[in-house]
Amino acid sequence: MDFSFFLSAFLRLLPGVPLTLQLAFVSVGLGMVLALILALLRLSRIRPFEWIARAYIFLFRSTPLLVQIFLIYYGLSQFPTVRYSVLWPILRQPYWCAIIALALNTAAYGSEIIRGGLRSVPEGQIEAARACGMSRITVFRRIVLPLAIRQALPAYGNEIILMVKATALASVITMMEITGLAAKLISESYRAVEVFVVAGSIYLIINYVITRVIHLLEYWLTPHLRSVSTPVVIEREDAA
Amino acid sequence: MSLPQQQHEPADEIVPAVRIRDLRKAYGAFEVLKGVSLDANDGDVVSILGSSGSGKSTMLRCINMLETPTGGEVSIGGETIRMKQTKAGPKPADRAQVDRLRAHVGMVFQSFNLWSHKTVLENVIEAPLHVQGRSRAECVEEAKELLAKVGIGDKLNHYPIHLSGGQQQRAAIARALGQRPRVMLFDEPTSALDPELVGEVLKVMRALAEEGRTMLVVTHEMGFAREVSSKVVFLHKGVVEEEGRPDKVFSSSRSERLRQFLMR
Repeated sequence: MDFSFFLSAFLRLLPGVPLTLQLAFVSVGLGMVLALILALLRLSRIRPFEWIARAYIFLFRSTPLLVQIFLIYYGLSQFPTVRYSVLWPILRQPYWCAIIALALNTAAYGSEIIRGGLRSVPEGQIEAARACGMSRITVFRRIVLPLAIRQALPAYGNEIILMVKATALASVITMMEITGLAAKLISESYRAVEVFVVAGSIYLIINYVITRVIHLLEYWLTPHLRSVSTPVVIEREDAA
Repeated sequence: MSLPQQQHEPADEIVPAVRIRDLRKAYGAFEVLKGVSLDANDGDVVSILGSSGSGKSTMLRCINMLETPTGGEVSIGGETIRMKQTKAGPKPADRAQVDRLRAHVGMVFQSFNLWSHKTVLENVIEAPLHVQGRSRAECVEEAKELLAKVGIGDKLNHYPIHLSGGQQQRAAIARALGQRPRVMLFDEPTSALDPELVGEVLKVMRALAEEGRTMLVVTHEMGFAREVSSKVVFLHKGVVEEEGRPDKVFSSSRSERLRQFLMR
């Protein structure tokens, strides 16, 4: 075992970490906003909106992310309208193409997770909110969304982890994130196994940290689901 | 907040706290309410009785538009809820009006419906703070008093799931009181409770009635209806079969159906 090579490979791949994290978090952030919009369209009970959301989700869930990345990066530039549009300064950059592809993709999955969360909110709690005079927006902001987020968080955490791993695909459109750097190092050193072991370990560490953060977030947000350590809580008055 | 807070002084002209005229509600071809009228003046405690399917809960839920009536009129504090006709049937014409009137109507549900992600205290201050826009300090102070009044002053920071059914329902009553409502609606408040927990909730409701609160109570608790209410309304198949003072209604009811209902 050549530990010094592992170490040098680790140091060569480490500079890719910020780009990997950027790709993951920017696309998860943008994707989450889009996911919420899609989920609301899907639940709007307005037929055309529902169908737009359904079609979108079907399209992006049923095609490989790799294909989506290729189509956005190589495909869009085929159209002169795109090349001469105001969006071209963005669409010509592999960085933004990768982020757009990742965000569009995660939005499809995320919207289904959020939709599940929104639908899990008990009707009675919504009714209680309406009954005390809350406007629709207030009901959504104060009651529905907070409950939906708590419900959706574990599944969304899963999606975030999937996204961190999906950033590896950005390497095929020249992004020098962890996997891109790994491929470059392999072409120089011909030591594929060691380099990929190191690359894999870096993803492992990143996702370990993310998992812990999500667990912590879940813990903070759900005191109402924890059993309480103090035994007095479940006592009934008449038992005294 | 233009409505007067509480009862007592008789106004020159009596404006009923709740006034229902010829209320109708149909689900498709099935008519649940077939023209119900009812007045509740300030300070009245109206018990609404009836077997299941008689439309009593539907009637109560039409008062704050949780159910949209298909006909008739509802007024709260003299203000009539404006309706409009749509393809899908009548709808409130002005959602803001409904929201504003709802703020004056406290509702207590059969299944409590406390907000599970908020503590008992947060449940009580939610509407005063985020609907009525009162100051936090004032809301918290008042919420603590209300929770002490319903006997769970020691559970402020507990989440609903950690309370017994009786405590949850009392918290829900405190939440409704936090709105400083002109009227309280109770939709079978004790029906989801274990028998041994019914008493603690009824005790709180009795105390509210004694304070002179205006209450409309859908209930199966005959003791409460008989002893606490100022008026009893018996609904049968969507119409008011009998109404009046409890002593009259219970002792000498003209309705055969009510006699049968009371026998059970």
